[in-house]
Amino acid sequence: MMRPLQLAACLAFAVVPFAAGAQDPAPAAQQAALEEGRSLAYTCMGCHGIPEYRNAYPAYRVPKIGGQSEEYLTNALNEYKRGTRRHPTMEAQAKSFSDEDIANLAAFLSSVNK
Amino acid sequence: MINSKYLLFACVFSAAAALAACQPADGGSSSAGLPKGRIDAGELQAAVKGEATGQSCIDCHGPDGNQPLDPTYPKLGGQYEDYLGHALQQYRSGARDHSLMSNQAQGLSDQQIADLAAFFASQPSELSDLSGVY
Repeated sequence: MMRPLQLAACLAFAVVPFAAGAQDPAPAAQQAALEEGRSLAYTCMGCHGIPEYRNAYPAYRVPKIGGQSEEYLTNALNEYKRGTRRHPTMEAQAKSFSDEDIANLAAFLSSVNK
Repeated sequence: MINSKYLLFACVFSAAAALAACQPADGGSSSAGLPKGRIDAGELQAAVKGEATGQSCIDCHGPDGNQPLDPTYPKLGGQYEDYLGHALQQYRSGARDHSLMSNQAQGLSDQQIADLAAFFASQPSELSDLSGVY
């Protein structure tokens, strides 16, 4: 006689996490974007993760991108992807990213606050 | 044959020496032959309205470069001086294009570019490299 009640209790607990997620979908999606961006941004570390790292010919330090405006970063990556902004390494990187990748990267990089 | 080998070696050696001589000796702060930037002159220049746009640097980027008027504008405060100089040189030459920045950079001299880069690099920063992020 307990079985239906137990079953109902299991179902209720199983549904709770989804219900909680549904109440607050924006932060969950934002968190997922940040995590995805964080994972993608590992490839940026070779240059942008090294303090004072210098580009060669012409020689200048590669920009600090942590904490930069999110929409500026999105535009910069899209310009590199289209080839309207030129830099061999950055063009190659940007061409490997989808629009969603770029949005996630920009969200993560702009959130970096050291 | 020996002579031509020596000649080849001498050519390669002197080419390498010439390339090495092109590197900035001090690990320097200016890029691509820009003169040394002056922070005080850059601060004055940053408030000068551009002829084509009617805007100054600080009108759009904020007084210290950290309050962009539009979300698509970058923060400049504390950015590397030589990168800022490089960006302005690219806008001036047309290698990089932006509806406002291309016009804004058009009339700038090398000294003015160096001064602006020195000024914004000297300001407080919300920017960082990615070291220690992982």
